Amino acid sequence: MKIDQELCIGCGQCVPYCPVKAIALSEETAEIDFDECVECGNCLRSADCPVEAIYQQELAWPRSVRSILSDPLTIAVESGISGRGTEEMKTNEVTGRFRRGYAGIGLEIGRPILGARLSDVDKIAQAVARMGVEFETINPTTSLMSDPKTGKFKEDVLNEKVLSAILEFSLKLERLPELFDILKKVAGDIDTVFTADLACRVNPDGSVPTEPYTEAAGLWLAPNGKVNIGLGRPRFPEDSQ
Amino acid sequence: MTHTLHRLGRERKYLEEDFVVLVMPSKDINHEGSGPKLRRFLDMALEAGAIKIGDCRKGNEYHQGGIDQVLENVEDRGVVHAVFRDIRALTSLLARLKEADLGMSVVVSGLFDRVEQCCREVGLEKHTVNQSLGRWGRTEKLPADPILELNTMCGHGMVTVSLIEEVVGQVKAGDCTPEEGAERLFRPCMCGIFNPHRAVKLIRAFVSS
Repeated sequence: MKIDQELCIGCGQCVPYCPVKAIALSEETAEIDFDECVECGNCLRSADCPVEAIYQQELAWPRSVRSILSDPLTIAVESGISGRGTEEMKTNEVTGRFRRGYAGIGLEIGRPILGARLSDVDKIAQAVARMGVEFETINPTTSLMSDPKTGKFKEDVLNEKVLSAILEFSLKLERLPELFDILKKVAGDIDTVFTADLACRVNPDGSVPTEPYTEAAGLWLAPNGKVNIGLGRPRFPEDSQ
Repeated sequence: MTHTLHRLGRERKYLEEDFVVLVMPSKDINHEGSGPKLRRFLDMALEAGAIKIGDCRKGNEYHQGGIDQVLENVEDRGVVHAVFRDIRALTSLLARLKEADLGMSVVVSGLFDRVEQCCREVGLEKHTVNQSLGRWGRTEKLPADPILELNTMCGHGMVTVSLIEEVVGQVKAGDCTPEEGAERLFRPCMCGIFNPHRAVKLIRAFVSS
């Protein structure tokens, strides 16, 4: 994103809308730190610039990945939906993406607030990939890897900054302790934050099969979260039986 | 796209007033002709008492120019939402959705025990759950929890720290009411899942602390 310095009147109205604090007021105008800007579009959409000085410059590769992983209204080619993730557990009763005995894992690097360089996403991806996981192919973050088997990212995107990038994969439940150990270690190797989440099909008695593993690892679980209530049709065959 | 997950809540009493219902089709399985069903959900949500509705694909009511535009512009690949402030209205909606049998996937975000209670009351069962394991890494770089509670109600991070600080400052100074401040914070949340009712209470608590 850029601000036309000829038009800008330096009112500062756009400054608080930048999630990564990349807009600063200089002597008479507001300027965007181009290296820090994540191309989320928030200033352009929401700041109501009185002189319409904010404009979207052409987004060429590799900078274009910033918009895909930061602007909530950008539609990723891979998933076909807006945002930086996938349908994940939201349509699980229809897709059967996460079946009994497995957990879906989402690691959103840069969330909340701080954003992330893709070099940090690369570190976590490579650490997790050593478990032999398969990253979700329709997730736009996976498309940025030069080798999804190793989790290594393409060299030319490593310095790109995004609001967040999501690593998605699934594992057999019994491999969760190994994953938790890896995450605890790699959390100390990065310069940002990430959120972690687990998705799973509930047991027939309504209990959550991942909970014995999180409890054993001493991990905190939020009291609130997402529940798919199974209303999608047609049902995945496993559920129809 | 875990945008309705990771909503930080330090006090249960405020989470008791924060529920988001998301409805979407699945690509290449049931997305064709889904637009009218998603629109019907939004109508049902408003009838049941939703305080906000939104559409991930097209933006919130401010971005689209009003609630009517949000309703009219829903497409087959839409991901639509409704925000609720109380469990009775949520339960009423779930009963209507069960009856309507739209065939779309429905995900409810909120306190797990409350969502389970709603499902039980109307004869629905949990199918799949998504639990937050919180924040990892350089968490010392994050702002204080009262700011995070407001920020994380927009899972895409569009309700910025600077905007929250500005609004709280304006409320403190008497330049705007908590209600006006909460509505201002809602505006950048393109999916329309920011809960201004809960935000009013959080802003009041923030200002008085």
